[in-house]
Amino acid sequence: MAPKKQKEVTSKSRGNLVEDDALDWLKPRSLIKPEDQEDVPDADLEEEVGRVLTTINLQWVADEVAYHYGQGRFVPKPKPTFGKAYPLYIYQGTAIRKDSDEAKAQIAAGYGMVGFDDAGPKRAKVKKSSAEEEEEEEPEPEPPPPEEGKGEEDAVAEEEKPEGGEAPAEPTDVGAEEGELAEGAEEAEPEEREEARGGGDEEVIEIKPRVKKLANQFNFCERAALTYNFPRRSVDTQTIPPPRANYGATALQCIIFDYYQEDYARKLREKEEEKPKRLRKKAAKHAKSAQQIHDELLAQRIREAWTVLERLVNQNIYDDIAQDYRYWDDPSDEFREGMGSLLPLWKFQYEPMRNHAVCDLQWNPHYQDLFTVAYGSLDFTNQQKTGCLCLYSIKNPAYPEYAVITESPIICLDVYKETPYLICVGLYDGNVCVYNAQLTLESSYQYKSDSVRDKHSNIVWEIRWGARLIDGESTFFSISGDGRVVQWAVMPGELQATTIITLTSNVPPIPGPDGTLITVNSCGSCICFHPEKPDIFMVGTEDGMIHTCSLKYNRNYVSSVQAHHMPVYRINYNYFNNSIYASCSGDWRVKIWEDGRDEPLFMFELGSPVGDVKWAPYSSTVFAACTADGKVYVFDLNVNKYRPICVQAVVSKKTKKLTRIDFNMRLPVIVCGDTKGTCHVLKLSPNLRVMCKPPKKAQGMDQRTLQIMKLDKLLSLVRDPPYQTGVVDEKFDDD
Amino acid sequence: MANEAEETVRKLSAHKGVVGVVVVNGEGIPIKTTLDNHISVQYAGLMTALIDKAKAVVRDLDPSNDLTFLRIRSKKSEVMVAPDKDFILIVVQNPVE
Repeated sequence: MAPKKQKEVTSKSRGNLVEDDALDWLKPRSLIKPEDQEDVPDADLEEEVGRVLTTINLQWVADEVAYHYGQGRFVPKPKPTFGKAYPLYIYQGTAIRKDSDEAKAQIAAGYGMVGFDDAGPKRAKVKKSSAEEEEEEEPEPEPPPPEEGKGEEDAVAEEEKPEGGEAPAEPTDVGAEEGELAEGAEEAEPEEREEARGGGDEEVIEIKPRVKKLANQFNFCERAALTYNFPRRSVDTQTIPPPRANYGATALQCIIFDYYQEDYARKLREKEEEKPKRLRKKAAKHAKSAQQIHDELLAQRIREAWTVLERLVNQNIYDDIAQDYRYWDDPSDEFREGMGSLLPLWKFQYEPMRNHAVCDLQWNPHYQDLFTVAYGSLDFTNQQKTGCLCLYSIKNPAYPEYAVITESPIICLDVYKETPYLICVGLYDGNVCVYNAQLTLESSYQYKSDSVRDKHSNIVWEIRWGARLIDGESTFFSISGDGRVVQWAVMPGELQATTIITLTSNVPPIPGPDGTLITVNSCGSCICFHPEKPDIFMVGTEDGMIHTCSLKYNRNYVSSVQAHHMPVYRINYNYFNNSIYASCSGDWRVKIWEDGRDEPLFMFELGSPVGDVKWAPYSSTVFAACTADGKVYVFDLNVNKYRPICVQAVVSKKTKKLTRIDFNMRLPVIVCGDTKGTCHVLKLSPNLRVMCKPPKKAQGMDQRTLQIMKLDKLLSLVRDPPYQTGVVDEKFDDD
Repeated sequence: MANEAEETVRKLSAHKGVVGVVVVNGEGIPIKTTLDNHISVQYAGLMTALIDKAKAVVRDLDPSNDLTFLRIRSKKSEVMVAPDKDFILIVVQNPVE
């Protein structure tokens, strides 16, 4: 221990030197001396003082005493253990020397003769062989070889010698240390021996009867106790899993848009709710329940969907006709100058009306594909019980878009131009009705004349919408076989009748059975309003007269013309010239008239009762007529003043008659009805609809002016002889 | 309303070339049909899927737009579909020679 210390010191001093060098710069050059420093002569400073290292602590006082107040005397002061030795760990050993008295006593008592071998479990298992039994017995129980232990002890003693002074203070300690060392050595020993024996021969030892084990540090037994382990047990509980559902959605742009819309609607609703309650209540009274609205909308949507589907189906069925309608123009027209043809397109028939006649038909003024048909009967000896009002679209030839069965055959109809869903009809029984095609089929007419008070007493032959009254009510006029022209004002909920004029006849009053004279009215058969002067109208009668009347005079006619010999079926004004009109009659003739002229400008005989005549809306000189022998005649006065440019048999004359005809206002088609309830749509070939070419001088002229000019030019040719007043030409020259 | 629907279905199926008419409700169940049951179910199921897809296409191109009708021409027949959020109307028609 001492040399170690010395070494430490030297190393320390060396370290200091190095440190001094390093810190040289820190130190001041001149030494600062305290003032009261004692002067020491140089000789004394030079003198060498020897430093001696001893193992004895010179400062250590062996016997220190201190006064003990409790005992009232001096007692030796507790030893400050050692001088420079510091115990780190003190352990009181239990080993005793074998040769000590205590050990001897124990051995004598039967303890202590236990070999190390006993402890090892290996030993017990070794088989014994009888041969070397005795030899082995001896060394075994006497395990520690004395030399080794002694050697060890000596070494320890030697080590301790230098600090002999201190030794007495710690005898037990040393002993313990020694014991431990010895034990370590001994432990190593038998191990070696065992190995040697194991490798050499199979040694068998007889184990002596076990003496009581001396329980000390070197010969101990281990006793292990295992506490009772609770059996492990796992308890699992499972809750009912929360309901799960797989949900997948893609946030498409449209979905996001929808949510925004929904949110916007909700905000609007909230704003609505913020309104004062009073206002809301008023609104709520009129509002239908949400369910109701939804149902109605749904029904409407379904209806529309069905309509479109039906049209799609029809489009497939009638595809070729549709193509023809649109694109087929008779190519042979190029080679026959001034002659045309009619291409039959669709046939419209309503199954329940198979035996009815088409009594009137009219294209819708607003929808170019729609036309209205009145079903009645012209067989007055065998009159039908019912009639029907149908609206057909050329998009759906199979079924009418709208069909309503009436109680009485319908003889005439007119579509209101302002609101093309209002249709007034004249019935066989003398009533007039207004139908609203917008309403569902369950509700029949919207207005009907009072059957008792003011209905006609004969067939209503023609019915026409007129101008509105000053109060704004719509009106229409009807002419009937009873000789009256009645104006009907559409009041809310009812029709108000005003008789405009009663047609008188030349027939003198007939004496009745009881002597009274009965005046016979002439029977009106058609009516036509002047296109520009709404109070001027013309009336055709069954005895062939055409009376020009005014709403303002209800007594007399403005003028009268004996136009035909048979009932006048139709009077129609030219679309381009308001003074030109055509009339047709059962006397086979079609006549073209000019206002104020008592003889016709043109006259054509068609060889069969002429049911209808109509001017073309596209040309001032073209008109068409249909006859009872099933033919359609188309005239163009500009092309041929004497003959029709097209004669076409549309229906077989044996079974059917053509009754009415109408030009479509925008499309080059005409529709004509026959007595078997069929409507024929025919396409006009290019020659039938030639337009005017503007003269070279005035290229920018519009078609209408040209048409008017065309007609005027034509009229100037035929006006000879000049108009003579007061001459009523009763003669009808045959063609 | 029921009468009207009945009438319309009858009317439509009377048209030339019309093979069948199927009315499908909002849940995709055929509620009225003139076809065999299993064919109607098949039509209903397949058309519902197709309409969803087609609608997505139209709506995605322009969210304010919507699909109104669907017309499928095939070699053998033409299927016309009127889709709505509450119903689907399907008409199958063989082309007219």
